[in-house]
Amino acid sequence: MSSIAGKTVAVGDAIEPLTRRVTQEQINAYAEASGDFNPIHVDEEFARSVGLPGTIAHGLLEMGILAEALSRWAGGSSRLLGLECRFSKPLRAGDAITCTGKVVAVDEAGGVASLEVDAVSDRGERVLTNGRARVRLSG
Amino acid sequence: MPDQSHVGRRYSAPGQVIDPARARAMAQAIAADGTALEAEAVPPTFAAVYCLAPTFAQLFTDPEVGINLAGLIHGEQTFEWPAAAQPGDTVDASARIESVEDKRGMTFVTLAVEAVRPADGAVVCRGRSMMILRGGAQ
Repeated sequence: MSSIAGKTVAVGDAIEPLTRRVTQEQINAYAEASGDFNPIHVDEEFARSVGLPGTIAHGLLEMGILAEALSRWAGGSSRLLGLECRFSKPLRAGDAITCTGKVVAVDEAGGVASLEVDAVSDRGERVLTNGRARVRLSG
Repeated sequence: MPDQSHVGRRYSAPGQVIDPARARAMAQAIAADGTALEAEAVPPTFAAVYCLAPTFAQLFTDPEVGINLAGLIHGEQTFEWPAAAQPGDTVDASARIESVEDKRGMTFVTLAVEAVRPADGAVVCRGRSMMILRGGAQ
């Protein structure tokens, strides 16, 4: 039987959705931690000057929240073997992101579960699409 | 602007030290409320700092390629973490321009990236980054 963090894992299982409102303060903290101070993330006036509705979150911050959702489900970030996604729509500062995922394959011999993952904003926009993740099973 | 002639260019950034304080700062920035999932682990997407940032900085300042950062968007990202990076690890990061394509008036640049921990030879991150340059294609 395949399991993870004490739970049985089967195709069709959903991870606990993770919703987080991404404030400008959080984006600024992420810019500081990542070193990515691209003005589209931190400078409202600049963001508008290049045609954006305002500042937007770093794609990799959104991906970090998605990775956290998976790590919580998996019982630790070291179980996350792979993650990929497309940054389809920008997430605007102040908007909430909800990350979801479901198991699409369980490789018992290899000890790996594969998931389809994505994220939507509270504007109803699909911000992260074409997402896939691989998680190491407990055995 | 990037074109086919740049495919295969390599950028190397050896000796990237995974600073525990900075890894913690990223975990807290992701968690937002200050309660990071694992305060003493390296968040998986910290690869942005030890693998993407130091190699992309070289690409972005490569005068032969001439990327205009003002029109740059991160389009897609793939990460694999064959071994988990630990706080304090030193890793050698590298990137290679894998493809350059012009589509719909934009230029799509794909880089293959990797970070190896020389202490034991483990690959701590391998991935692919697709960047979109708007208004690029002439």
